[in-house]
Amino acid sequence: MRNLPKAKVKIMDKLAKRLREDAERIDATISPELDERISASLRAVTPARPADERRPARSWTFWLASSLTGAAAAIVLLVGLNMRDAPVETAPVVANSTIPNIVEVPVFDLHAETAVLTSPLSQELENLQSDLRKAEEKLREDIGL
Amino acid sequence: MSNELQLIEKAKAGSVEAFTDLVESYRGRLFRYLLTRCNNYADAEDALQDTLINAYKYLYSYNPQWRFSTWLYRIAIRNLISNRDDKVTELGDLGDAENDPLDQAIAASERQNLWSSARRLLNDEVYAAMWLRYAEDMSVRDIASALDRSVSWTKVNLMRGRNTLDAELAQSKSENYG
Repeated sequence: MRNLPKAKVKIMDKLAKRLREDAERIDATISPELDERISASLRAVTPARPADERRPARSWTFWLASSLTGAAAAIVLLVGLNMRDAPVETAPVVANSTIPNIVEVPVFDLHAETAVLTSPLSQELENLQSDLRKAEEKLREDIGL
Repeated sequence: MSNELQLIEKAKAGSVEAFTDLVESYRGRLFRYLLTRCNNYADAEDALQDTLINAYKYLYSYNPQWRFSTWLYRIAIRNLISNRDDKVTELGDLGDAENDPLDQAIAASERQNLWSSARRLLNDEVYAAMWLRYAEDMSVRDIASALDRSVSWTKVNLMRGRNTLDAELAQSKSENYG
């Protein structure tokens, strides 16, 4: 409005005043009947709730159990994949077997430990692979390969 | 926390009394606007009732960064749009002149009410913008929010509305004095 000529600004101000006055001249009395009707309708309505409030919140035990289940499933999967990838050495077929019936198989002292997840899964995977390599080297040393 | 926000919290929890207190100062002004937008008193009353019920029902969605009156008008304008087919006065269709609440309201007046001309000359949205600006003294930003329009759209259309009514006012003056 700053760039308009003074006469134009004056007309605009008069227009705004006239619009305000004319709006106030409109009688908008709310009848007691309408008031009563609105109150009755409001009492029949229950305020809605946002969608995220309607769903009950999960307890922390749910998330803990869910995380542990996921981690266990991941470990089982990783172990399974490692076992499948390991090369399977097939024994040569010997026509006339000279192998004695009883073969002394060395008994290794195996230590089984429960995996405890303290770091991300990718780190755990690397640790597991490293442990596997060490165990393999140790085994090779023990059997003299 | 302001008194209005306290009332909003109580109303959200299901207090009809708190909601009634909350809308007490707004409903008369809102009814005045609806009277100028509906074809008859009954429709305006229904529109006010629908607006207040929707406001109460969906009060959780009210964002306190806006004025409560802005939010109420937004609901009212949306209700009018959704009921446009049979309840809102369209451009060139002023309904039953004998029962028209705006005509009845201004019948006793000595001069033509400019809002009657505005309703005849402006489309629904520009009319609403003009009403919010000059009858409700709302800021352009609040009007834009109530109409779900941009600030620039609101500014441009307020100027167009003013120019239209300004020309109408000048013409009626020249007819009276010429």
